[in-house]
Amino acid sequence: MLQVNSLTKTFRLARKKRAREQSLDPREKGRWFHAIDGIDLGVRRGQVLGLLGPNGAGKTTLLRILSTSLKPTSGVVLCDGEDLTKNPLEIRKRIGFVSGNTGLYGRLTAREMLRYYGKLHGMAAAALDERIGSLARKLDMGWFLDQRNETLSSGMRQKVSIARALIHDPEILLFDELTTGLDVAAAESVLTVVAACKSEGRTVLFSTHHMDEVDQLCDSVVIIHEGKLCFEGGVDAMRSQTGESFLDKAFLRLIRPKTEGATT
Amino acid sequence: MKAGFQTVFFKEMKDVLRDRKTLLLMIVLPIVVVPLLLNLLIGFVIKKEQEARTEVLEYVVFGDEFAPELAKTFEAANGFKKVTLGSPDELVAAIREDRIDFGLVIPEKTAAQLSGQEQASIELHFDNASMGSKVEDRVQDLVEKFNDELTAARLAKLGVPPGQKQKSLLEPVRLRKQGTGKIREVIGDRIGGMVPYFFIAFCFMGVVYPAIHLGAGEKERGTLETLLLAPIPRHQVVLGKFLAVFCGGIIAVLLNLASLGTWLAIKAGELRGIIGTLIGSIDLLDLVLLALMLIPVAAMFAALLLSVSIFARNSAEASTLISPFGIVLIVPAALAMLPGVELNWFWASVPVTNVSLAMKELLKGTMDYTMLLAIFASSTLIAGGLLFFCAKWFNRESVLFRV
Repeated sequence: MLQVNSLTKTFRLARKKRAREQSLDPREKGRWFHAIDGIDLGVRRGQVLGLLGPNGAGKTTLLRILSTSLKPTSGVVLCDGEDLTKNPLEIRKRIGFVSGNTGLYGRLTAREMLRYYGKLHGMAAAALDERIGSLARKLDMGWFLDQRNETLSSGMRQKVSIARALIHDPEILLFDELTTGLDVAAAESVLTVVAACKSEGRTVLFSTHHMDEVDQLCDSVVIIHEGKLCFEGGVDAMRSQTGESFLDKAFLRLIRPKTEGATT
Repeated sequence: MKAGFQTVFFKEMKDVLRDRKTLLLMIVLPIVVVPLLLNLLIGFVIKKEQEARTEVLEYVVFGDEFAPELAKTFEAANGFKKVTLGSPDELVAAIREDRIDFGLVIPEKTAAQLSGQEQASIELHFDNASMGSKVEDRVQDLVEKFNDELTAARLAKLGVPPGQKQKSLLEPVRLRKQGTGKIREVIGDRIGGMVPYFFIAFCFMGVVYPAIHLGAGEKERGTLETLLLAPIPRHQVVLGKFLAVFCGGIIAVLLNLASLGTWLAIKAGELRGIIGTLIGSIDLLDLVLLALMLIPVAAMFAALLLSVSIFARNSAEASTLISPFGIVLIVPAALAMLPGVELNWFWASVPVTNVSLAMKELLKGTMDYTMLLAIFASSTLIAGGLLFFCAKWFNRESVLFRV
């Protein structure tokens, strides 16, 4: 169970940005930028939670906090009742993170890279080799496992990234715009892996701009806009609350009042 | 199981050593290019020196009738060719336009002065802006030869027999120089400042690329974020990266030392034994101490450049930010080459310069080992401080996720 309570994250703005004309973004207050502002959410074990929001809404910041890359300014994140900020090293062992722009070490092979992360997670050599073999079968990457990452296609690279996130068998997976830049076949293949993670009982937070992916995979959805939570509920609730049968339109209806409010 | 920093270190070394640019800067450059360049440079200098000594110098003489014997000395000498020119007024232009190498102007009164046993003066016109020119030396040699012959003849005429008698008359007291400095000290003083400069510069070059690749490069490739999610403390990530960058500098220095040493050993004979004398007088302990002094320097460079690199958004920005450090860090090393800059407690407190001067003293064989220990300790302390700063820097969100 992942529980987020009253989470906020503020960044100090650079001087040159402050010196420019006053921004229309309501999150800029003086020299501070409120990227996340009082977010509450919860995900149960074995659930896939869709994280939606326009560009710059604060999704990546939220995922970075949940992955322990960033520290929250205030609020609490509990992972099975344990505060994320108290012992981040232990929490990291239970979390896997992949984003659309996650890079790979181009000069290493996929196998070398998986070994590297496995070792960083303290895995023993024999267990690590077994795990790499199992992931290679599962993700159909055995045939390019010994190729250098710099020679791989986007779809292959994303599979290596997912394998990297799964190498230590985490309970919670954070996926940030996982299918960005992938062709239809590669995206489909990656989404199959996400579905498999769900069926294995892992908790998944899945940030995306593609509503068909939300429809296909997510048990529930949260929508973040300008750093604040503006919707939390199931996919059907999105439709019923807005009266729209298409999720794209339902999403726009849910964020539009906020957008209009910000620009007028 | 390895500690986190060891895992990071071995992976970073593998990554860095698989890069062609790094291999070029760290391995190929010191092993192949440096000796090749030195060979070409020294070969060029020797060739130019030989050419300057043996080339035929074209000259004009105005007033040769007032000192015919002197004029004959030039005509008879090898490597001189007399040409003609309209008037002495054209001399400067002719030399500047490279039509002649020099001109002699013998005044009318010279004849009377020479026959009257007085001192005469003649003018030499030549291009004194040309550094490699040997005109002055070669003309001076001929005039001295003429003077010696004339002096001997005059003294003989006065009844002083040639040989020791004339020598004692011309030079009643002869100064025989007996320098107390060992040959190693003398040579070390002349060229000892250059050696640390080269090593420190190569050390810097060896550190730059790995620092950029392992700092800003990780940000650029998007691998830093996943690395930060590994369950190891960030200071271990920094330590692993630092050790890889540090090794880059040390490998570059050791390869340079080895390649330069081999080249000098081969070329020592050709360089008239000066370098050979210096090499021969340096013992193994001095060499070990020389290499040892570069360790804190490489550590300082590695920690500093890794901090700069991790601050940059991408490799291009890292290169731009690191470039000024090249000057800031190399200039103190070059100070050891300046005349009069000797190792004392003041200079021992200036980072990098102190190491450069200590290396110079080691080459000269005049090192005060208490001071050496103090320099090594203070440099190590500075390197440790910079590494501590780097680790702190690596924990700042505003640095890691700088936009």
